[in-house]
Amino acid sequence: MPSKSLFPSAPSESKRKADVTIRLSEFEIPPMQDVLLVGKRAPIGPEAIRRMVNALSPDQYEVIQLDHDIFEAAVLKKSLARLLPEEKLLPIVLEEGARIATEKTVVKAQVNIVIQVSQVVDL
Amino acid sequence: MFSIGHIMTRDPLTIMPSESVEYAAALMNQHRIGCLPVVENGRLVGIITSRDVRCSHFNRLVADAMSKQVVVVSMECSLWEAKELLERHGIERLVVVKDGRPVGIVTKSQLYAELGKHIDALTGLDRAEFLQRKAAEFLQDEKEIAIIFLDLDNFGAIDKEMGHVLGDKILQQVAQVLRSVVEDGIDYLCRYAGDEFAVVTTRPLEDAKKLALRMVTALAEENWPHGLKVTGSAGVAGGRRSAPRSEEAKACAVSDLINMASLASTKAKKENKQVVVAGLVELKEAW
Repeated sequence: MPSKSLFPSAPSESKRKADVTIRLSEFEIPPMQDVLLVGKRAPIGPEAIRRMVNALSPDQYEVIQLDHDIFEAAVLKKSLARLLPEEKLLPIVLEEGARIATEKTVVKAQVNIVIQVSQVVDL
Repeated sequence: MFSIGHIMTRDPLTIMPSESVEYAAALMNQHRIGCLPVVENGRLVGIITSRDVRCSHFNRLVADAMSKQVVVVSMECSLWEAKELLERHGIERLVVVKDGRPVGIVTKSQLYAELGKHIDALTGLDRAEFLQRKAAEFLQDEKEIAIIFLDLDNFGAIDKEMGHVLGDKILQQVAQVLRSVVEDGIDYLCRYAGDEFAVVTTRPLEDAKKLALRMVTALAEENWPHGLKVTGSAGVAGGRRSAPRSEEAKACAVSDLINMASLASTKAKKENKQVVVAGLVELKEAW
């Protein structure tokens, strides 16, 4: 008696298809925003980031080594520091970043600074 | 013979800071080594160890995982200086450099194995080579030193009458007693040979004489097995240098000092004194 196959016989004509979906968008130069917070055990470290930003956006970012529980370094857009001193800005970003990040992550932050000036002049 | 250059592993495998941690780990596994000096343009810029690799993401650059503070030594560094460095920094290996370039690596186990050859198995004290090297180091650093040479009195008779087993026990006890008298970091004790012990110290000559007296007194006051009386006679010689000279001349000057202290201890024994001071000598001519 012929043995019975456990598997259904293969179709005589197989059909294989591939769906291709393409999403095109502009590559951000640089591919980071205003601030990057680099976790102590993140996949990339400050030296790699320094090399990246120097290659992609020379002289626009500053890498600051930190003495922090979670983050090893912060990368700060230099133009921000002209609006708000680094020692004022970094603690705020670090405090918020520490709420969501771990040692293994790199967090990017977009920072908007609006300076309000009100002056009184003599008429 | 007693310098790092003689025991180091030459031409160590190195890595560039721009390589990945993953590559560093693969190299270490392949060559069964625990660290890689990190070199950029031929200069040592860091060191990456297997521990650094374990603690870092494999995607990182070596530059982001390495230790930038590397404890380095020259090939001329003595084994004992290297040991002090390892212990002070709590590290496992030293990179040997010449003109800023890594030329070798010495691990803790390599160093300790070599140092073990210069430690007296019976008493656990360093041997004479250590004393000579330490004295030369102090003189190199422009420090005034003193050598105390202590010879046990009639120890041959104890060996002959009571046997060598008891003789060895007494030598161990002598080492313990002397250890309790000397001060770490100032006095360096060794078993010079047979029943002779020696100390090199940075104490001024007068203080060295007091130390020698304490050593002799401590032996006299110790309770020895079988009610034996074990005493010693000490000789002290002090020296200081003025200008740097060759290695050979340094060794010669140190040997002269040890010899002076040894002769002074013989004199102490003959004249039935506890301590004889040979004096302080300027080592200008000898250098």
